[in-house]
Amino acid sequence: MSTESPIVATVADLSATPIRTQARQQKPTFRIRPTKGWAPLNVLELWKYRDLLWILVERDTKLLYKQTALGVAWVVMQPLVAAVIFAVVFGRVARLPSDGAPYLLFVFCGLTVWTYFSQALQHAGNSLVRNANLVSKVYFPKLLLPLAQTLRGLVDFTVTLVVLLVLMAIYRVPPTFRLAVLPVFLFFMTLTATGVALWFSALSVKYRDCTNALQYFIQIWLYASPVVYPISMIPERWRPLFALNPAVGFIEGFRWAVLGHSVLNPSLLCITIVMSLVVLFSGAFFFRRAERGFADII
Amino acid sequence: MSDVAIAVKNLSKSFKIAHQRDGLPGYRTLRDDLMGLPQRMLARWKRNGQPTSETFWALKNVSFEVKKGEVVGIIGRNGTGKSTLLKILSRITEPTSGGADIYGRVGALLEVGTGFHPELTGRENIFMNGAILGMKRVEIQRKFAEIVSFAGIDKFLDTPVKRYSSGMYVRLAFAVAAHLDPEILFVDEVLAVGDAEFQKKCLGKMHDVSQAGRTVIFISHSMESISRLCPRAIWLNEGKLIVDGPADDVIAQYSATT
Repeated sequence: MSTESPIVATVADLSATPIRTQARQQKPTFRIRPTKGWAPLNVLELWKYRDLLWILVERDTKLLYKQTALGVAWVVMQPLVAAVIFAVVFGRVARLPSDGAPYLLFVFCGLTVWTYFSQALQHAGNSLVRNANLVSKVYFPKLLLPLAQTLRGLVDFTVTLVVLLVLMAIYRVPPTFRLAVLPVFLFFMTLTATGVALWFSALSVKYRDCTNALQYFIQIWLYASPVVYPISMIPERWRPLFALNPAVGFIEGFRWAVLGHSVLNPSLLCITIVMSLVVLFSGAFFFRRAERGFADII
Repeated sequence: MSDVAIAVKNLSKSFKIAHQRDGLPGYRTLRDDLMGLPQRMLARWKRNGQPTSETFWALKNVSFEVKKGEVVGIIGRNGTGKSTLLKILSRITEPTSGGADIYGRVGALLEVGTGFHPELTGRENIFMNGAILGMKRVEIQRKFAEIVSFAGIDKFLDTPVKRYSSGMYVRLAFAVAAHLDPEILFVDEVLAVGDAEFQKKCLGKMHDVSQAGRTVIFISHSMESISRLCPRAIWLNEGKLIVDGPADDVIAQYSATT
């Protein structure tokens, strides 16, 4: 055999052969062994449990609406009130540019996306800890818990989108063929949110102060993203660096699809999309590696 | 063709026990861990990767085999690793060393009403509980009427579960789990909750399940339930398998020590 230490060799043997070595032995449904290092993403298993994912989304949507007094009104109020405040502070007082569009509409576009993003992150961030009873008593792919939150947020997003369409009508901004590209930006918005959610939800199990860190992180990220100002405000040589923020792509892209006028070009878009994918895959692999210890420390 | 359902070999599980550091109890914080990183790395290098003295072995080298259709009881004092064993076999947590092979679909009942939320109605909770236990939505819909009549809560299907009495709650939870229909069933002391009638109903259902050729592993403190339901029993003490044999013998040996 190899010249590895005996302990390593034993573990390798154990995972290679079944415990009972009999001729014509049927394959076990599953083998339980200690795992070390990186775990595979196992997307097939997520697909197998899709019914559970859908039921989790339904459950959390119902609970959220049952528990808030304002319900749907709250979903509409949040970005609208923020947009008005930003319009006064950044639009009127600070006079930030808005790529030719009316400032209120400009900032509401960004906030439509940003509200989804920050809400999804906050709900997903502590989803594992909130569902500690499930994690410690039942087997299921834990990735479904933060994923259910990022999907659930899309319901609220749709409501905010309707308000955006109303605002567009008020400002007489016509919908154009650019809107057809909207789903692409929404897709990357969801991907990025899921990636960051996976990082924070996994970290929150071990380090409970991560939820506080997350709120702070989101605040800073808001101002590091082109929500209240357009990319055109950033000097051209700094734009590639700015594009390392995965939120740049879907926020500015979404705004372009609705309003037009953006300095977003294919190379910037490439940078930011790659960052989105990096965040998603690194989050997924980190989560899968940390998953095996959740039930013990939650 | 093999008839083994569960094969366990040298299964061990250890936990690291954290002691209070600097008098600050509670969970670890990212700040503390980052600050302590240099010290810990130095300590690990000095120890050469040996386990620290703060390791607690919940299970130590447990080995046994269960054939298809067997009903095995697991007994032992509190804290001797019985629940940990079922958790490992249900893949909720990982072993530290050793392994197990499972042949067949597993249904694990480690708690009554896993996934139940007090604000949701009985109907909604049936779907939630069923899905978390591994049933597909169509399966739950198909068995819905049976589940409701087994639990006897027809009139209260659309009331939030927080309004149920504890008896109704427990009956509903068990009703969903009872219709799980797995090939291998793990049951952990769920009968401890509920009145005599409920316990009788549970035992009856578990008896039907075992008659249908399913494999059952059953943890209980009730020697009466064990001897009624299980022809074979395993006694675990301090994480080690002490005796594995006919239920009445094992129970007699266990009772002799208490």
